[in-house]
Amino acid sequence: MENNGKETSEERKVSCGDVSKCFQLLESILDGEMGEEGKEVLKEKLDKCQPCFEHFHLEQAIREVLKTKCTKQPVPTQLADSIRQMIHESK
Amino acid sequence: MSDSQRRKYTQEEKNIIFDGEFMPHIDSMYNFAFRLTFDEDDAKDLVQDTYLKAYRFINSFEQGTNAKAWLFRILKNSFINEYRKKSKQPAKVDYQEVETYYNSDDVDFQGTTDLRADSVKDMLGDEISNALNALAVDFRTVIILADLEGFTYEEMAKILDIPIGTVRSRLHRARNLLKDKLRGYAQSMGYKTDEED
Repeated sequence: MENNGKETSEERKVSCGDVSKCFQLLESILDGEMGEEGKEVLKEKLDKCQPCFEHFHLEQAIREVLKTKCTKQPVPTQLADSIRQMIHESK
Repeated sequence: MSDSQRRKYTQEEKNIIFDGEFMPHIDSMYNFAFRLTFDEDDAKDLVQDTYLKAYRFINSFEQGTNAKAWLFRILKNSFINEYRKKSKQPAKVDYQEVETYYNSDDVDFQGTTDLRADSVKDMLGDEISNALNALAVDFRTVIILADLEGFTYEEMAKILDIPIGTVRSRLHRARNLLKDKLRGYAQSMGYKTDEED
């Protein structure tokens, strides 16, 4: 993104006309729900709108930390065996 | 269900499906159950119940379709029907939290300007987990499904028995609530927020 010379914050508008609609759209794009069309809309928004640019990066960071940092609970070692045992008994 | 559907799989096929397509998801299933119940024994029971049901109703599973989504749907339904009933603690949406959300007009704008992507990246796993766990169960669930488990909106709609539009709006609300919690951490931990500039 940074390698695009035209993309500077000076060129972006400082307020977004429809924050609620734009942010929901950005979130759908981040969630991979918009396909190719989403990529074009995203580029347009990030190039031209500062609030959208900031929101996108915040949302991206949140998704990233949720995915990578949320503490995982180890599965009890006996669980898989006890499930197989219960199923075997139910047959 | 017709007889032909009921007898769809042979015993051997059932075992192959169960071991090959169902059991590999036990880790995700247990973590989902734990994030719903916050209790190791309850999570274990919930996962056990889910797998027993999955085996019992294995003929209604179409081979080649998404086993993980199918299992998550059973687990979610078991949680609602059985665990919530057993639990003394009412597991429902925190309506005050919801109302607070609806009553603030510019929640989107307020909700994002003073929390920085860099502060979020610096947070610890425990802080992220605590913020997620502090959300009401319906909001927590959509974030778990979307961000931790990577389900699509369409899969989530099937798991939760709600329209895709509701998935989208509930996720949006859930993320705004999560940001409120994260902002609280950011401020209390002295991470930079715009207000300090």
